[in-house]
Amino acid sequence: MTTACFENIQIKGIKTVVPEHCVNIDDELEYFDNNPKKLARAKKMIGYGTRYVADQNTTVTDMATDAAVKLLQEMGISPDEIDLLIFVNQNPDYPRPSDACIVHGLLELNKSCTCLSINLGCSGYVHALMCASGLMSSGAFKTALLLTGDNPAHDIRVQNRKIAPVFGDAVSATVLKYEKGAPKSFFVTGTDGKNWDKIIHPFGGQRLPYQKKDFDLSVVDGNGNIWTADQGLMKGEDVFNFTMEVAPQLLSDTMNAAAWTIQDVDLFAIHQANKQIVEMIVAKAGIPFEKAPTETFSRYANNSVNSVVTVLCDQAVGKTIGNTVLCTFGIGLSWGGAAVDLSEMYNGGISTYTVPKNGKTRSEQIMNWINYFKGEKHD
Amino acid sequence: MTKEEFLAEMQDVLQTEEDLSYETVLKDLDEWDSLSVMATMAFLEKSFGVKTTMKDYHEVTTIGDIAKKAGL
Repeated sequence: MTTACFENIQIKGIKTVVPEHCVNIDDELEYFDNNPKKLARAKKMIGYGTRYVADQNTTVTDMATDAAVKLLQEMGISPDEIDLLIFVNQNPDYPRPSDACIVHGLLELNKSCTCLSINLGCSGYVHALMCASGLMSSGAFKTALLLTGDNPAHDIRVQNRKIAPVFGDAVSATVLKYEKGAPKSFFVTGTDGKNWDKIIHPFGGQRLPYQKKDFDLSVVDGNGNIWTADQGLMKGEDVFNFTMEVAPQLLSDTMNAAAWTIQDVDLFAIHQANKQIVEMIVAKAGIPFEKAPTETFSRYANNSVNSVVTVLCDQAVGKTIGNTVLCTFGIGLSWGGAAVDLSEMYNGGISTYTVPKNGKTRSEQIMNWINYFKGEKHD
Repeated sequence: MTKEEFLAEMQDVLQTEEDLSYETVLKDLDEWDSLSVMATMAFLEKSFGVKTTMKDYHEVTTIGDIAKKAGL
């Protein structure tokens, strides 16, 4: 594992946005054999509650742009000040160019701003903070904008009960500033790439490009869950074993890196895989439950990249918190812990993303690219 | 922990309304799923300091086998 420490960089603000459409597990009784006891058991054990799901026309960059505009406005920061933009997402608008460049244009950022996209999931927020801090510690970048999030729920068929009730969509914006004398931040990261196939979306890349007949594929497992080629796969038991091996140790390594004890920490923001898993990690790490909330899972579900930011925006808004440990793990397989001081951070909480009325339809978009190719006028 | 206390705890861990005994076959319980396995792992670690992995549960048949793991 790598341990890194940075000085003079401070997280100044965060804001999360979620889509309007809210799904409540109480409305999905049919998937629990219409048995209220089974539903109640799943709610109690896994923590199922509500989750927000983006509509088919809303992409991560739409929500990220909204989060950025709102956060910069609320903090009184001009887009001109941003000299570094890092976007973490696994569902880009296009195979290329990167979302970071697209959002740079949408936000009308300065041409001198450096833009990077990172393809990571659950561990992505900590990696983005670390990359931004590393670049900023050179002194070359003064104000960074991190856009981190995903819309995992957007792709999942509701009939796939292995994953449908677990995931929700959320995207956030974070502002970091270079300030002499800001408290140190510490990062612990690692990767187990031999297990790259444990959480995967196998179709759609160069290894297995979509072909027409792939869309006829429909596989049913012993429990009646349906998998189609447009959805991801997860080896639950292996991922669980990985999590229990890595996450409690990561919490301890991250505190050790910062020379903090549990008493020194105000809040442990742990990736909300599900309530049961977070509680098991917390118990194994010997952390008091009141310092490591799991309620965010019941309100917003597992938000992939954004999960730990959703915890901060949900649990820490309106409160003063200082020493905070972020603990992330998942697809890759990859993990990252951070020990950060958030006492100077503006917390913009969680807002709703409103779908604009003038969005282009799918056929309008395709026609645009056809005309683009033919050299006719396009917008 | 007495045998009776253990069985009462297991009823809560599995979130089942079935009466349990050491002879109860786990496969016969509707509630014996991956959630219950995780809950059992957490219970054994918290109450008995016994660490188990998911793999260990591929080989258990009855509630009594779990009690054995707990050292009862």
